[in-house]
Amino acid sequence: MRTKILYLLFFLAYVSAFAQPKHTISGYIKDAANGEVLIGATIYIKSLTTGATTNVYGFYSVTVDGGTYDVSYSYIGFASQVKTLTLSENTRIDIELQGEGMQLEEVVVSSTKDEQGVKAQEMSTNRLDVKTIIRIPAFLGEADVIKSLIQLPGVSTVGEGASGFNVRGGSVGQNLILLDEATVYNSSHLLGFFSVFNPDAVKDIKLYKGAIPARFGGRLSSLLDVRMKEGNNKTYEVNGGVGTIFSRGAVEGPLFKGDGSFIVAGRRSYADILARPFVDLLKDGGALNFYDLTGKANYNINKRNRIFVSGYTGRDKFFFDGNQGFSWGNNTGTIRWNKIFNDRLFANFSGIFSQYDYSLQFGDNERDNFRWKSSIRNLTFKPSFSYFLNTKNEISFGVEANYYSFQPANAFGTSNGNRIDISLPEKYNLESSAYVGNTQQLSSKISVEYGLRYSRFNGFGPGKQYTYNDTIPGRRRSVVDEKTFANGETTSTYQNFEPRFSFKAELNDLSSIKASYTRMAQYLHLISNTTASNPLDVWTPTSNNIKPELGDQWVLGYFRDFGKEKMFEFSVEAYYRNTQNQIDYIDGADLLINEFLEGDLLVGNGRAYGVEFYLQKKVGRFTGWAAYTIARTELKVDGINRGEWYAARFDQTHNLKLSGFYDLNKRWSASANFTFVSGTPSTFPTSRYVVQDILIPYNALESRNNVRLPAYHRLDVSFRLEGRTVKRNGNARKNSDYWVFGVYNLYGRRNPFSIYFTQGKDRVTQGSPINSEARQLSIIGTVVPSVSYNFKF
Amino acid sequence: MIFMKRLSLYIVTILTGSCIFYSCDEVINPALEKAEPVLVIDAWLNDAVGDQKIKITRSQPYFENVLPTGVSGAVISVTDTNGKVYSFSETEAGVYVWTPLVNERFGEVGLSYNLSVQVGSEIFVSEARMGRAPAVDSITFLLVPGGQFADDQYQAEFWATDPIEPGDAYWIKFYKNGIQQLKPSEIITAYDAGFSKGGNFSGVPFIAPIRRAINSFDEDKDEQPLSPYVVGDSVNVVIQSITEAGFNFLNQVVIQTNRPGGFGELFATPLANVDTNIVNSNATGSKVQGFFNVGAATSLGRKFKSLDELSEN
Repeated sequence: MRTKILYLLFFLAYVSAFAQPKHTISGYIKDAANGEVLIGATIYIKSLTTGATTNVYGFYSVTVDGGTYDVSYSYIGFASQVKTLTLSENTRIDIELQGEGMQLEEVVVSSTKDEQGVKAQEMSTNRLDVKTIIRIPAFLGEADVIKSLIQLPGVSTVGEGASGFNVRGGSVGQNLILLDEATVYNSSHLLGFFSVFNPDAVKDIKLYKGAIPARFGGRLSSLLDVRMKEGNNKTYEVNGGVGTIFSRGAVEGPLFKGDGSFIVAGRRSYADILARPFVDLLKDGGALNFYDLTGKANYNINKRNRIFVSGYTGRDKFFFDGNQGFSWGNNTGTIRWNKIFNDRLFANFSGIFSQYDYSLQFGDNERDNFRWKSSIRNLTFKPSFSYFLNTKNEISFGVEANYYSFQPANAFGTSNGNRIDISLPEKYNLESSAYVGNTQQLSSKISVEYGLRYSRFNGFGPGKQYTYNDTIPGRRRSVVDEKTFANGETTSTYQNFEPRFSFKAELNDLSSIKASYTRMAQYLHLISNTTASNPLDVWTPTSNNIKPELGDQWVLGYFRDFGKEKMFEFSVEAYYRNTQNQIDYIDGADLLINEFLEGDLLVGNGRAYGVEFYLQKKVGRFTGWAAYTIARTELKVDGINRGEWYAARFDQTHNLKLSGFYDLNKRWSASANFTFVSGTPSTFPTSRYVVQDILIPYNALESRNNVRLPAYHRLDVSFRLEGRTVKRNGNARKNSDYWVFGVYNLYGRRNPFSIYFTQGKDRVTQGSPINSEARQLSIIGTVVPSVSYNFKF
Repeated sequence: MIFMKRLSLYIVTILTGSCIFYSCDEVINPALEKAEPVLVIDAWLNDAVGDQKIKITRSQPYFENVLPTGVSGAVISVTDTNGKVYSFSETEAGVYVWTPLVNERFGEVGLSYNLSVQVGSEIFVSEARMGRAPAVDSITFLLVPGGQFADDQYQAEFWATDPIEPGDAYWIKFYKNGIQQLKPSEIITAYDAGFSKGGNFSGVPFIAPIRRAINSFDEDKDEQPLSPYVVGDSVNVVIQSITEAGFNFLNQVVIQTNRPGGFGELFATPLANVDTNIVNSNATGSKVQGFFNVGAATSLGRKFKSLDELSEN
């Protein structure tokens, strides 16, 4: 059945291929300044009204009839180039585009204005380039990839300090975050104040909120594809910065006489170094810091082969002393080989390693202590192919194998000299998938992208599998049977077909409508029942008790460019998503180091729907965007909220984001962003009662998330001062630098992160009434100024 | 989850110690939904010397900071598996007492007990088995040297060994100078010798965080930490056995009541109702909250007479 579908897809795509002699133009499009390939750059043949965009490796391929054409190459922020080509055979053309630089005197509206929104096949995607990220006013002045994403429509967070982000009503664990194709299991530093991506080493960030192509799978709600820079292959370059909380530095340069290049970038926070003389909380071996190191190198073996090696290592450390504390970190490594088999067949082979681990230890002596380590590790092999069949069809296909090993707890406790092993067994799984997809131009106005992904998830022994009893929904289930599996024996198998479809119709040169349907399956589950996701959340595989999560999303969108020279881009997208096998938790669930964790889980369904409006001005002295989302996200789980639908913790009815950037003069520029978000839901008690002299809050209506917190709003501004470009003696400076002065939460609003209910802090005399109160916590309750200095030479 | 609580407290300590954040925690007065009062049965019985009490009250609006009023006129009995009936009579509004004969104690380890409470025309029932409790072998005091932020502290530690064979659960209560220490952060539970059932600590001395949990950390007027004990103080430790349901109940109570605020809120779970093991014999009848537990209780006290008594840490 499966193979038949694949053949059929190929056949359909192939029918129109052999009509008359055709030739292919292919190659890479690069930035002339540093040799970085440009992702999503456009090649366009006006006389044929056809073209293509470069893939994530900067490669394009267009096949047309023989003849003479004016071919234009363009990319936003770069001057476009037009080449006149006479095609009589397949032609390889690598192009380097020149950046336009700062042009302040006049509003520059050029042909480089991209028309991605209206013309592109894809919908529900957002791209952010690093130049934009750096300009968004940031907490403590540190540009941050994930915090920038939250400025986009359909993306939200439950509050400051919370890890991760929520996309279209998905939970944090339903986002697949890829750094050069390696899965990043926890994207946060310092709980959630910063993310692990170093902007100095990042080239391109793309968020897929829907209409996800068949080549991606594994999470229900979104895909964040972060691509690292390759490094400058023309000249050595050093970037760095000194900020309020950490410093960073990056070196890049050519290798093998320009046939390759590298980049190494690192960051380290230094709160503890500054604090050490004053705080003896940090004794010998104590630490309170995070660091990360990102590196990448590539080499052009020849015109048709290129290899890349990239990696990331980062860690957060919170240690009282050498023996007590907690740390977490990610390590990833990717080896890739780009192979151009011929002008139309582009392939990439990736071998990927990724690991996330954390450890926690208490007890400063040998007789009484506790040591706990937990990790998830995976190895991936992923060959993927793009076949540029003709200008009307671009076929992609490939396979992917992911091997996982989970170590929920490698833990020991020692009590008065008795050492006890409380480790939990490791779990082993294989997630394998195959996909094929095609982007097909049906007419000059209408195109479709369709594909199918087949995914399969196996569990392997050695290990035990438990069967739990049925009980009143919401109560802990107990083990009624267990089964032991030998090494390599299959414990459970699931499979899913995930169809993907999207449609685009251009109404005219300025507007288009698009629609899509996406089914996603998720086999790894982030187990978390706290208000905000946190580093100790455990990733747990699908098993006999936990079914794969499934999501179906439908999206309808309208895209329009307007204004002089199409300077504004507008879009509106409406989405509806149904999800199955969503995980929730019994009250009092024990999620850590619990062999019988699965007995504490509940299963339900979810639905999310909303409309996103987006207006962007991309060129001129003033640029920026407005994003507004109205949405609803609900869950229905037996045993919670009387079994009725309830709003998810991250449900936000209104979500408005405004971001603006203004160039004041040659040296000064200003940025501002404003956020207004409806309060997220919370569960408030109605009543209280006393048992054993303890005051217990009680919701007699048995509701979940029955009250909304007050709305969240905040204004941030920053000013950037470019360093002088000439020395006092009038010569041009070789180096460049800039200062960023920022204020986060300009009007000092105390935005609620949560409202919680507790008895008063004072000790109560027995026989007296106990005082109960409500308290509101604001994570950032004041104005937070910052300054940073950044340089490049 | 209880473990998570402790962990979050720990992280909060580090983060606030680092003073790099700008959080703000203030009392507010939100409007709450209204709800009808619900019957609450507080029936925790043990085999310690003396009277055993059951209290019957009703829930109040959350912000009503007065003592709950008792529910009078209930008919209460507790019956063991051998058919022995313990009857409780009302001594003041809502308080029902069983008074032992000379040398008599309530209950016997290993037997199960049925509770029956009749209020008006409704009958509420529950069942609990009385588990075992290990003896408290000794109590020691230790010096915890202070640092920049705190003076030296004297802390107490109790020593007891969980019996072999897993499956025991305990509520460890402690009294300072005769007063039970019962802030939400002072509710101590143990499953065997560790924090939770999945922890597999059994047949060993209670783990150190439990042994040393019998200290209350209060602050003086200037928010300076006080030593849990000073010379002249006395401490009394009671280990009371609880059912597994009782263990789950108390842990849920801790999750719902021990809200330190600050960054701990990042790790907090949504407010949820604490389970009850008491049911209305008419399933469609009115709701009930509270808990029924029958346990064995062991205890030991010690007075902190002089600094010479400090043990090696």
